[in-house]
Amino acid sequence: MATFEEIGPRIPVVEPIRVDKVHPRAKLGRSIRVIVTVIVTFIMIIPVLVMIMTAFKSRANIVTPPPKVFFKPTLEGFLYLFTDRSLFSPSNLEAARANPGDLNYWQKLALSVGQKINGPSDYVGRLKNSVIIAGTSTLLSVILGLFAAYAFSRFKVAGKDDLLFFILSTRMLPGVVVTIPLFLLYKQLGWNDTHIGMIILYTVFNLSFSVWLLKGFIDEIPVEYEEAALVDGYSRLQAFFKIVLPQAVNGIAATTVFCLIFAWNEYAFALMLTSEKARTAPPSIATMLGSGGLEWSAIAAGSLGFLIPVAIVTFALRDYLLRGVTFGAVRK
Amino acid sequence: MSTIELRQVEKKFGDLHAVKPLDLTIQDGEFIVLLGPSGCGKTTTLRMISGLETVSGGTIWLNGRNVTWLHPSERDIAFVFQFYALYPHLTAWRNIAFPLQAQGESRETVEKRVDEVVKLLQIEHVLKAHPGQLSGGDQQRVALARALVRRPAAFLMDEPLGALDADFRESMRSEIKRLHVLQHATTVYVTHDQIEAMAMGDRIVVMSEAAIQQIGTPAEVYNNPTNLFVARFIGSPGMNLITGRYADGIVQMAGLDNRYAVPQVWQSALRKSMNDGSEIVVGFRPEAAQINDGGKLAGKVYASEMQGSSAVLHLTINENEIIHIRTDRLIPYPIDTLVHFDINPQMVRFFNLKTEAAIKPEVTQ
Amino acid sequence: MTASETQLRGPNTKIRQRHLSNRAIVNLFIWPTLLLLIAMNVFPLFYSLYLGFTNYSAIAQKAPVWVAFQNFSKILNDKNLWQYFATTGRYALMSVSLQVLVGFSLAMLVREKFKGGGILTTLILIPMMISPVVVGLFWKLMYNPTFGFFNFLLGLSDPSKSPDWLASRIGGHPVPGLALIAVVIVDVWMWAPFVMLLVLSGLKAIPDYLYEAAAVDRASSWFQFWRITLPQVAPLLLIAILFRTIEAFKSFDLVMGMTGGGPGVQTELISVDLYRIAFLGQFRTGMGSALAYIILIIIIAISNLYIKYLNQSKGEG
Repeated sequence: MATFEEIGPRIPVVEPIRVDKVHPRAKLGRSIRVIVTVIVTFIMIIPVLVMIMTAFKSRANIVTPPPKVFFKPTLEGFLYLFTDRSLFSPSNLEAARANPGDLNYWQKLALSVGQKINGPSDYVGRLKNSVIIAGTSTLLSVILGLFAAYAFSRFKVAGKDDLLFFILSTRMLPGVVVTIPLFLLYKQLGWNDTHIGMIILYTVFNLSFSVWLLKGFIDEIPVEYEEAALVDGYSRLQAFFKIVLPQAVNGIAATTVFCLIFAWNEYAFALMLTSEKARTAPPSIATMLGSGGLEWSAIAAGSLGFLIPVAIVTFALRDYLLRGVTFGAVRK
Repeated sequence: MSTIELRQVEKKFGDLHAVKPLDLTIQDGEFIVLLGPSGCGKTTTLRMISGLETVSGGTIWLNGRNVTWLHPSERDIAFVFQFYALYPHLTAWRNIAFPLQAQGESRETVEKRVDEVVKLLQIEHVLKAHPGQLSGGDQQRVALARALVRRPAAFLMDEPLGALDADFRESMRSEIKRLHVLQHATTVYVTHDQIEAMAMGDRIVVMSEAAIQQIGTPAEVYNNPTNLFVARFIGSPGMNLITGRYADGIVQMAGLDNRYAVPQVWQSALRKSMNDGSEIVVGFRPEAAQINDGGKLAGKVYASEMQGSSAVLHLTINENEIIHIRTDRLIPYPIDTLVHFDINPQMVRFFNLKTEAAIKPEVTQ
Repeated sequence: MTASETQLRGPNTKIRQRHLSNRAIVNLFIWPTLLLLIAMNVFPLFYSLYLGFTNYSAIAQKAPVWVAFQNFSKILNDKNLWQYFATTGRYALMSVSLQVLVGFSLAMLVREKFKGGGILTTLILIPMMISPVVVGLFWKLMYNPTFGFFNFLLGLSDPSKSPDWLASRIGGHPVPGLALIAVVIVDVWMWAPFVMLLVLSGLKAIPDYLYEAAAVDRASSWFQFWRITLPQVAPLLLIAILFRTIEAFKSFDLVMGMTGGGPGVQTELISVDLYRIAFLGQFRTGMGSALAYIILIIIIAISNLYIKYLNQSKGEG
């Protein structure tokens, strides 16, 4: 017997409109809402705009009142950020100014503020450290988390709920409690100020989050797919790679974004557990000293540059973020 | 008096017609069912009557008042949702009392009316609970109570039994019908279940593809469907429909060399509306055919379905068509047996294959 | 939900499968994670507890010496420390309530779809993505009374009369607590979007038909908010509050970037003080560990309170 559920035109899902919502008053309300939202958004990102502007301002423009909205942009900030410089002595300065010769753009810029370039600054190295440490730890926490999440999702494990709670609670610990012993532990292991030390640390920190988030996503994938694969002769491991993994891509994306943001921006541990070799960018940005105190344009330039990768990744995966944030909370 | 009139009411989403312009008049106190498959426009029509959906064209009249653009709460209607839509943070009692309180009724009135309705639906025992703590059936009763308490001019119900277990659905069906009779209220009821529609409706509006296919009493749509869609949709199983070629009083059916002689009463009607050689559909209900060895038509047994006191025999007529015939014989036929049958000439119907419309018999004087 | 644990035979497989048994897979998948977590969390936790009972200093070359409860009593009797706890508590209270207020309002603003809504929502999320220490530094620049944008945009350009936020002065007169408010403003700026995100997802989960029933019944907007919207969003809101409160107690990056604890001790949050004790000056590691433990206990207590409240609200609905 045929069912007639399938007969009938497919009407695409469109927003229903109630009679009271087409009333002019309701329409006005909606316009007001849009305007208010635009204004509020603008207010919210003003500080970011300030930061962007500051990155392109000359030192003078930054510290003289009143603050300028219109100014002549310069790349000084980036110069301060990326290079190590020293002041010309007055006499050398005269000589250099008289003879611009074939100085490149950056050297000329340095000259205009009376300095000469010695070489790249620490920042480049710090940036590299950030990329290595954040990238590797994110990779590790997602991979390890994925395996653990799968096992917790699909198998009976002794004390599963307790283990899961334990994993969650490690996230709840204030970092301060573990910083001190970790500092000492690392001292013993010789991991202070090493890449491996920081990578392991960030991995562990992100692992609890990654396990929970990924478990939530994997729970959503019906077991039947794997069971069908098992019947067809695949091993569990093969089923995991061929079937579960492709379907968990959304969850993996969300988890990666969150872990990356955390590891990338982390400051406290980086401050306390590194000094020279493995220091990441956040602690260094905070201490950019110029000749008269904080070098604001360098800080702005550094912060801006540091923000951009995160912004790009977050923007690209914003839908996953929304789903990820609410996981485990909405489902019960 | 609470008549509802839809004049040329239509609904479009962009270029897509969710409901093509339709006219419908619902009489005071009538229980009318909008029946059809998913996407046919029945729910949209109901929502337009309620004001939960704007109309793209046409007007809606309630008791002679033009309510097309009135706020839902100003139309004097109550709406029963498929998923109950009970306020989760109010107790059952307060859910039921709410519509009256929102209209500013006095405390005594509220208590009296809620009391009446609660007794009617026999839900005294759930009044202090929150909707989340109640079973589906109780929730639906509370939703009905909330609708009843206002004594509106009309009740609009959107597949209210859809979320209930099958066994429960039947008892709730009769409860709703009983309530309707007691209240003398006009009710517009939407469902995709034709059994429900046939059991409950005074009249049924069969809809498909955004348009009305037929309006009639259950008997009318069952016995005299106006087109192939209604013939197939109504009845379980639906009407048997066999295609064939009409020529001079005989329908030549494909396969098994079945030649059906058109009954006397139909002959002049068919002669007038069909050309020789054109395709025609012969329709008859499972109970309209009789198995007998001397039958003029034949089919091969495909399956037998024992249904207790009777059985339904599924026969293949040709490669494509299977028909169902009801029989008293309780011993199943072996598969592929050739079986002969006759069609009751009072109960046969004819359809034009191209237009899908039923061919009307000529009225004898 | 667990799959069967038997090895099923497919049509073309050998009878003896040479694949990993389920047991082995579970172990292989879970143990690395567990070991890592235990090593990096449990061990330090216990070691930290042990250190709390010593007078160990990380820079001194001596081994730890047991001093029993000396550290703990010093801390619990130190008036200053209690003040820092109070400051942190005030900070958490102000910040979280404002975050909830602003975040919730933002969510109500953007809940209905409109052109460009998606982009606006994404823009609002940007503050959340910036490193907190960087945010602190930047706002330090913005709060500067002479050349910062904050006063300028509010129209308070006269340096002699306008507030010097981070120095807690207005027009030269000290206004204690101003700096803390300034830090709270920045914290709210950063994290209200987080609350917005959570509340928004809760709002989207509310079925339309509840509001439609309210329309048919002519329910007031107030009723719709209190009885339909708020109860549905409450669980998520509580989770947001829980997380943000815990984070507020742990807050370190932001304050370090902006004020370093000053002026004086007005913004000396408890975690900043911990840093000072353990990593600056005398490196009083033992004392620091004791303090860290006390902070931990407070956080656990607060979390338990919240979780109890959370479960209560879930049970009701």
